[in-house]
Amino acid sequence: MVRVNRYFQDIWDTLKSTMIGMRITGKYLLRKPITVQYPDQRLPIPDRYRGIHYLEQEKCIDCLACARACPIDCIEMDAIRHGKELEWVSFTLDYQKCMFCELCVYPCPKDCIHMGTEFALVVEDRSELNYDLLSFKGMAVDARVRMREAEEKKKIKEAAKAAKAAEKAADENDGEKGSGSDGGGEV
Amino acid sequence: MIQEQAQQALSHAVHPGSNVFVRILEWLPLPEWVPGWVITLGGVVIGMSIFLAVMSVLVMFCVWLERKVSGHIQCRTGPMYAGGWHGWAQSIADGVKLLLKEDTIPNEADRTLFWIAPAIVLGSIFGAMVAMPLSYDWWFGRMDLGVFAILALSSTTTIGVVMAGWASNSKWSLYGAMREAAQVVAYEIPLGLSLLAPLFVLGTFSLNEASAMQSGWFGMKWAIFTNPFLIPAFMIYWIAALAETKRAPFDLPEAESELVAGFMTEYSGIRWSFFFFEEYAAMLLMSVLAAFFWFGGFESPLTGALRASGVEETSLLFSVVCFGTVMIKGFVGIFLMMWMRWTLPRVRIDQVMTMGYKYLTPLALFCVLGAACWEALQHLIFS
Repeated sequence: MVRVNRYFQDIWDTLKSTMIGMRITGKYLLRKPITVQYPDQRLPIPDRYRGIHYLEQEKCIDCLACARACPIDCIEMDAIRHGKELEWVSFTLDYQKCMFCELCVYPCPKDCIHMGTEFALVVEDRSELNYDLLSFKGMAVDARVRMREAEEKKKIKEAAKAAKAAEKAADENDGEKGSGSDGGGEV
Repeated sequence: MIQEQAQQALSHAVHPGSNVFVRILEWLPLPEWVPGWVITLGGVVIGMSIFLAVMSVLVMFCVWLERKVSGHIQCRTGPMYAGGWHGWAQSIADGVKLLLKEDTIPNEADRTLFWIAPAIVLGSIFGAMVAMPLSYDWWFGRMDLGVFAILALSSTTTIGVVMAGWASNSKWSLYGAMREAAQVVAYEIPLGLSLLAPLFVLGTFSLNEASAMQSGWFGMKWAIFTNPFLIPAFMIYWIAALAETKRAPFDLPEAESELVAGFMTEYSGIRWSFFFFEEYAAMLLMSVLAAFFWFGGFESPLTGALRASGVEETSLLFSVVCFGTVMIKGFVGIFLMMWMRWTLPRVRIDQVMTMGYKYLTPLALFCVLGAACWEALQHLIFS
């Protein structure tokens, strides 16, 4: 008798548990999906997330502090100095090596390198992982303007200097001439 | 009374004559010298091509639906990109990918059997679909024993599956094939027995006639409403149909977490997609069969209304409504199958056997007996 009861209990349990399960999945079916269409939409990323760096190139002074702080030497930079202004050649970060430790961020005296929130390192070739963080090569427009202004000022200064020197020379010349004529008068 | 009912049903539902495309070819002004057999053959060929195309499109829709349903049950969205609107073209894209994929055959495989197996699987399931009328007027092979044809042909797929498993010369494939064989042997019995119950009620083996028998009550005299024993019979049929179509929770032949891909492990490309197609075609067939024998087939209040307003059953409008009705019912069934798939975990093989032999078979017998007694009582009381 117990076995017979067990048999019908099994049937009842099967039906019941199937119904309960289908009710749960049915609820999920009607719920709004929690996923987003990834490349088009993104879930918000925390501010302190350590993703791909971004560089405020205008502030950077090519001091190499970050490159020296990097424990795996993945930062390389190169710039030509024109007096106070910098002409950028490259500022590369090799993401094959980088471990996103954020140690490059703290020593920066100008606070110009930061960790960004972008995390997708999607490339077709390994060499493409050597990211150039420069938004432009060469010189910034304002830097060029500053440099030109400085050069112009310098030119004006030099011109003034030259003019002064010429005047002085002319004065001296005049003096010599005067003395010469004096001398001639004497002769 | 049952005799009268049957007579009445037959008089307005079953048209003598031929395949719908043969009729179209006969209607065309063809020259006199074209022999009759050409017309018949042409009608069959055209009919089968269109039928296969329609069924393939429906199957592709099923695949897309499965992915959407499974996605939403898991709080995802499923395919969203291909084709634009909710990834409607995903199945087409998949089909193209599968067509272009390399078709590999293992060195140690039995090449001939490996080639034949998917053809048998797909051929038998589409062969079974021939017995499925699309409306009272549209059909391809009129079969008075349509249920037998469908059951016989749809279980022929097992031969193809076992063949594929054996020919692959792989442990996983063989395990899958053996499981399939055991499972189908176990579940053919409750499937056939549970189908017997509505057959008692409707008194016919033909799908067309079964639908016509349920045309009373303004198209709502569905078999399941007329006999209480048909409700458990339907449940048993449904479980057995899940096992027959190798759907979860009975997807032991495939069992991707244990057997790689079961009997399909060594298949790739288009040959693999044949098995995939077969699964969804079998789902469609089983749902439509349930619709015919439990849920009124072509009959719905809409067809009832059309009939009441005097629309002829041979008219195009009526045929379209019939086809739509039966497809909606079929897709509700398919949705139910998907819902169950994403609800229940896969059962063990011994549990499958226990369920088939110890529970479903005796219960199906009980349902048959009950349905027969109920009909006899009705007959005694009302006649």
